[in-house]
Amino acid sequence: MTDFRISRPNFFSTPKKGENYELRADLNSEYRDRRKDAIKKVIANMTVGKDVSGLFPDVLKNMQTDDLEQKKLVYLYLMNYAKTQPELVILAVNTFVKDTDDSNPLIRALAIRTMGCIRVEKIIDYLCEPLRKCLRDENPYVRKTAAICVAKLYDLSPSLAIDNGFVSVLQDMVSDANPMVVANAVTALAEINESSSTKDIFIINTPTLTKLLVALNECTEWGRIAILAALAEYKPADSKEAEHIVERVVPQFQHVNGSVVLSAIKVVMIYMRTIKNDEAIRQLVRKMAPPLVTLLASEPEVQYVALRNINIILQKRPEILANEMRVFFCKYNDPPYVKLEKLEIMIKLANEKNIDQLLSELKEYASEVDVDFVRKSVRAIGQCAIKISEASERCVNVLLDLINTKVNYVVQEAIVVIKDIFRKYPHKYEGIIQTLCQNLDALDEPEAKASLIWIIGEYAERIENANELIVTFLDTFRDENSQVQLQLVTATVKLFLKKPQPTQNIVQRTLQTATSECDNPDIRDRAYIYWRLLSTDPQAAKAVVLSDKPPISVQSNTISSSLLEELISNISTLASVYHKPPETFLGRGRFGADAVQRRAIEEQEEASRESPIQAQTKTNIENLLDLDFSDTTTAVTTTSSLPSSSMSFTPTANVDDLLDLFNGNSITPTQPSNNQNNGLSNDLLNLF
Amino acid sequence: MIDSLFVLNATGKIIIEKHWRGLINRQLVEYFNDQFSKQSSPEDLLPIIPTPKYQLVHVYRSGLTFLSPVSNEVDALLVLEFLHRIVDILAEYFGELAELSIRDNFDIVYQLLEEMMDYGYPLTTEPNALKEMIVPPNIINKVISQVAGVTSVVQHVPNGSTISSFPWRKAGVKYTNNEIYFDVVEEIDAIVDSNGAIVSSEIHGLIQANCRLSGMPDLTLNFVNPRVLDDYSFHPCVRYNKFENERVLSFVPPDGHFKLMSYRVNLPHHQSLPLYVKPQIHIGNGGGKFDISISIRNTDGKPVENVLLVFPLAKSVSNVNATCNLGSYIFDPVTKSIRWNLGKIELKDRTPMLSGNFSSTEQTPESGHTITIDFLINMHAISGLKVDSLKIYNEAYKPYKGVRSMTKAGKFQIRT
Repeated sequence: MTDFRISRPNFFSTPKKGENYELRADLNSEYRDRRKDAIKKVIANMTVGKDVSGLFPDVLKNMQTDDLEQKKLVYLYLMNYAKTQPELVILAVNTFVKDTDDSNPLIRALAIRTMGCIRVEKIIDYLCEPLRKCLRDENPYVRKTAAICVAKLYDLSPSLAIDNGFVSVLQDMVSDANPMVVANAVTALAEINESSSTKDIFIINTPTLTKLLVALNECTEWGRIAILAALAEYKPADSKEAEHIVERVVPQFQHVNGSVVLSAIKVVMIYMRTIKNDEAIRQLVRKMAPPLVTLLASEPEVQYVALRNINIILQKRPEILANEMRVFFCKYNDPPYVKLEKLEIMIKLANEKNIDQLLSELKEYASEVDVDFVRKSVRAIGQCAIKISEASERCVNVLLDLINTKVNYVVQEAIVVIKDIFRKYPHKYEGIIQTLCQNLDALDEPEAKASLIWIIGEYAERIENANELIVTFLDTFRDENSQVQLQLVTATVKLFLKKPQPTQNIVQRTLQTATSECDNPDIRDRAYIYWRLLSTDPQAAKAVVLSDKPPISVQSNTISSSLLEELISNISTLASVYHKPPETFLGRGRFGADAVQRRAIEEQEEASRESPIQAQTKTNIENLLDLDFSDTTTAVTTTSSLPSSSMSFTPTANVDDLLDLFNGNSITPTQPSNNQNNGLSNDLLNLF
Repeated sequence: MIDSLFVLNATGKIIIEKHWRGLINRQLVEYFNDQFSKQSSPEDLLPIIPTPKYQLVHVYRSGLTFLSPVSNEVDALLVLEFLHRIVDILAEYFGELAELSIRDNFDIVYQLLEEMMDYGYPLTTEPNALKEMIVPPNIINKVISQVAGVTSVVQHVPNGSTISSFPWRKAGVKYTNNEIYFDVVEEIDAIVDSNGAIVSSEIHGLIQANCRLSGMPDLTLNFVNPRVLDDYSFHPCVRYNKFENERVLSFVPPDGHFKLMSYRVNLPHHQSLPLYVKPQIHIGNGGGKFDISISIRNTDGKPVENVLLVFPLAKSVSNVNATCNLGSYIFDPVTKSIRWNLGKIELKDRTPMLSGNFSSTEQTPESGHTITIDFLINMHAISGLKVDSLKIYNEAYKPYKGVRSMTKAGKFQIRT
């Protein structure tokens, strides 16, 4: 085994000779049992990572035997060491070829299977003749094994596989009488097609389609998955054909193997794009729900994949599980990854009718032991409030109940989500600000602190002691996290604009500290901008800082529509689990440069398409800051009456560029500056 | 497709390693072990972990990790289902899934893996078909092979299983007594809140068959009330269309034990669970009091057996004092939970109660732990599903037929 050799080079190897010497003697023993035991020992050594490649010729001598088990063990050894001993493998060829003529089909299949697995150049030439025979073998077990062998050969030498006509034999095998052979032929063809440059090896036409549909109901579970994968690639001619195929696929929903079920759902989801008949669509949607629910009763690993896929399916067809909220309720001993996925889906399914049920469930979760899950549950309550305006009050009440539990992390998380609720429903829940402020001392997480400060700044005119509250934070300004500092600067300015008289000192002090003692350029810059605004044109400052924020809405983790379609085509695969296109996580560097570039451009487009949503949904305070920030710059560009200062930055261009560097989202408001500037910022964007 | 399989023991050491598409460096396993050791519990690790080159798909069972790195886009669920299948087959071959049994039988394990997968694609995974090719180890086989030097591998072709139009049934089966048994086993998954209201409940049923019939019998099984089923899946032998149209199970059974059908039923709202647990817990100063009672509701007059209730307490709890009027309880100081073993509850019994108090090293011990309960009711299917008749075609004999039902607790949880 290669890595073993690397970690312990030969010249340092401890004398294992003793053991190998004994094994060699046993392998050449005149007694059958002793030879077989020796082979087992060799394999055992191989498994624990010992190098037994030196015994190659001695093991090989035991290949010719009528003991099937012994033969299998020798083959196992051969496959492992063939790469390191290519010259010696030739010695095995004769036995292999002879075995492919054996009267026992099991041995014929074993020989052709093993030969294909020995990935040594020299053996390929000897492989062709036996393979040709086995592809036409009378026994289906041999034929189906040979079918996969064609894929193995193609991987080593595509030209050899095509020139010998093996690929076309494979194409004929799709019409084999035995469904198992059909399934393996489909598997092999799909693999060859995938790695071929022309992608024209496996094209489904009407006659093959019929064969596939027949085989689908008769072959093994794995064969069904292969056939369903092939059907997913097929483009039905019209709605009628799509309906016809789907009708044959739907029975697969009742298979015990979850993978067959999900593959069938994939095919149906894809074909529904073509089906024009509304009634048929309704029927399909109805039939899809029970198998999806049943998947949730499987092992947790299967549940996880199912939940990730349900997430995608729901975004496309929200009606599918509309009445099934309860099945997503968490068991206390579900693994954390299952619980978090269930939460996501519950938020997606939340509506006016089931919100009460959901809220009492979420409240229950908020008292569990797993801190991360508790936080996510609290966050989910906030998302429900934003999603369903009729229920926002009930959500806020639940959050207040949770704040009253005084459990530290629950309180902090609740304050973070309440800030979002304030964003969504301005001036509706001001009454609770007092309660929130009572928990000021309990806050030690930057996000919670920043959220509360934002609330204080935003509602400064309603909070009698707003300036006192801000001052308590200002004392520790220098030690705060930058997120909190930024929010403090903004809140102080808001406070000043709303209550100029008593707060003049505070704002002076804050801006002074922020500009002179902060290392973080973001905070310094923001403080400078405020300062300049305030000193030049307080009215403009008011317009900028106190402007109305764009409304937010919740589409929790929404996937862009083009990505969604791609993921639906990939249901049940890794892409559907990661919610990313396959190229982004597979075999780095194996794709051509243009593919990477194309992907990069698409992703950028996606990002710009997604960003408005993200800006709205992300409960992350940074996005709020960004919005404030961009509002500021809009005003800066429009007022443009800034005197050139000792600071000497050419305002618009620089700010724009900085903005673009920090967040691609906010280019829109700054766009109307000038062309040159635009070009510059675009270039910068392209860099990322 | 699947590139490789590593079987790791509890400490992360490789005990089985199989590559279907060229060697994968063992360093990958070290990376996996790093991730693995970061979890507070082995079951918590995400089943699919991305790394730059390989996606690590894995399943953890009985202290063993079955890890499959994949390098291409694959059907993730296929990989997981295949790993589950390996777990099942190994357990079936060796009687249990354990490091020792795998180490002792590594040669059989390798033969199985070779037969179950080729070039990363699943090949033969039907237990019956595999057993025809690779004989499971047993003491008699071992003795025979040692004494007589006879090989343990079946010397005939797996013809019956690969050529016949019923790949699950071998030809030429003969029994002197023809008999077939069905076990209808239903598990209740339920979440009940502290007031006894059902938060969610589901019944997962399984019809397990043991078929000892000669020849090629063609069976038709009728239910009294097939409409109660909300979703179902069948063994491949069941003719799907026949069930869709006529609601009967028509099939040529495999020989021996097999899972004929599994199904899901949503408990109707008006129907109650077989038993209710009523917990009353008061957290006080440095401890608390509790009262837990169990009442039997809907068991069709049958007693509830093997009742075991587990009541977890806060980590800070140091001591428990309680009394119960049925069975016995112990307080496990390691898991900080009370295990109340009630055994059998007869209907005429008084309401079983466990009451007492606990002391804690913390002022206010945390609450909100979930009670779980295990039980079993013989000769009762909670869903109401009943087998009506079994008819046999294609064979002349009259077999002995038996049906047994049983209801068990699945994930039965009571919130406090």
